[in-house]
Amino acid sequence: MKQTQNESHTAVIELRHVDKFFGSLHVLKDISLSVQKGEVLVIIGPSGSGKSTLCRTINRLEGIDAGEIIIDGVPMPEEGKELANLRAQIGMVFQSFNLFSHRTILDNVCLAPMDVLKVPRKEAREKALSLLERVGVQDQAHKVPAQLSGGQQQRVAIARALAMNPKAILFDEPTSALDPEMIGEVLDVMTELAREGMTMVIVTHEMNFAKNVADRVIFMDAGSILEEGKPEDFFAAPKTQRARDFLGKL
Amino acid sequence: MMREENKRGSRTTSIIDVLYEAPGPKARRKIRAATIVSMAVLLCLLVLIILQFYKNGQLDPRYWSIFLRKTTWTFLGEGLLGTVKAALGASLVSFGIAMLLMLWRISSRKILRGISVTLIEFTRGIPTLLFIYFFFLLAPQFGLKLPAYWKITLPVAISACGVVAEVLRSGVQSVPRGQWEAAMSLGMRWGSMFFKVIFPQAFRYVIPALISEIVIVLKDTTFAYVVNYADMMQNARVLISNYDALLSVHLVVAVIYILINYVLNKISVAAADGRNGKGKR
Repeated sequence: MKQTQNESHTAVIELRHVDKFFGSLHVLKDISLSVQKGEVLVIIGPSGSGKSTLCRTINRLEGIDAGEIIIDGVPMPEEGKELANLRAQIGMVFQSFNLFSHRTILDNVCLAPMDVLKVPRKEAREKALSLLERVGVQDQAHKVPAQLSGGQQQRVAIARALAMNPKAILFDEPTSALDPEMIGEVLDVMTELAREGMTMVIVTHEMNFAKNVADRVIFMDAGSILEEGKPEDFFAAPKTQRARDFLGKL
Repeated sequence: MMREENKRGSRTTSIIDVLYEAPGPKARRKIRAATIVSMAVLLCLLVLIILQFYKNGQLDPRYWSIFLRKTTWTFLGEGLLGTVKAALGASLVSFGIAMLLMLWRISSRKILRGISVTLIEFTRGIPTLLFIYFFFLLAPQFGLKLPAYWKITLPVAISACGVVAEVLRSGVQSVPRGQWEAAMSLGMRWGSMFFKVIFPQAFRYVIPALISEIVIVLKDTTFAYVVNYADMMQNARVLISNYDALLSVHLVVAVIYILINYVLNKISVAAADGRNGKGKR
């Protein structure tokens, strides 16, 4: 009893028996998993396996039909202020960056801290500038997103998530929309974050990155978690045929 | 979604370039011939019209000399000021009501959506003149006595607000879903999400459509004569009855309306270009 309590205390993200349907399509089948503080969890799998959906259910961008999602010991509410508060604690980086296109890079990073956390403007700007420096785009602070390259935009998106001091960050295929030469710069920032102990859930197709950075890998197919393990074990000797096929095709 | 935005941003060719390929030598000859013929026809028509005016004595200097007097222009100028005031007031009021209707229209509450759809259809379907009669004839019977300015401004605003609401909604819907999701994921509440992230972008998309709507509002203010509000059209009517100068006054006033609306359209095009340009790399 004591041990489970301890466990649930250190789990930043916990999913219990989560089910989700798109109409009659069962996209998440009885998913249970937990992410510990400081852990880097990489979710891989073929397209349509439900990995992006899983990632998006964690901060309730997708609702769930059954089960529970617990963020740092607090069950995810379905709506309202409580939901917004919990979302504020979990950062998210999207495949298509989704920077606020009408605002400058600096404003993109400042907006939520000022609006949600009520950080004073001056403080928010200082922090934003230091975050932009950290991801290497401080020179672009006064441009609008469309003036930046994809790689730069995605690094700004990471800075924007970091500005909220999140307990964890979700990455939903963060490099899939990038030109090949820009993937590295984004992965470098993510690797650095992982090293600093950020809790991360990453949906990706970058297997090398998964091998090098992940603490744990989850392989999904058809809405279920088929395998779960340390990257060195999983990539060296996948247990299921489905995973062997998937890795073989890469 | 990003790709979509890029496409929008880099659209430098006009719709005409997309619809028609560049004409070859044969097509060019045909186009030239058609242009000459249609110009000739137009010219003939113009000559005919002027001839007809001349025959009926409409070109008589006494109809036109009134435009040499400063008082004529001052009087028309006052009317123009009235038109601008009414159009501006009606546009602002209309925008305010439309904002509310649009927010209800996209609301998650079915009742609000229902009310909004009904009001939008109602205001879009009824001619402006009927709203004017309501405020002019009916409302005073129930003790609602408004100054002439509001008797023209309110009905024109109401008659436009349904369309404006739908224009605003189309703008909101063209903001990519990812913008909502990004704001949500940062923990923003609906209000700040909408007014700080979504609406500013939506508004930029619909500026040209809104300006077109201002043109319609401006033209609707010519109903001012019904309520005896001194807009340009009303003052033109006064000039006409004083000088019996039906054609000349109408022509001059028409040219002024055309000029104003031409400027508005130019602004609208410039706004659209600026919007497209801003998205460019």
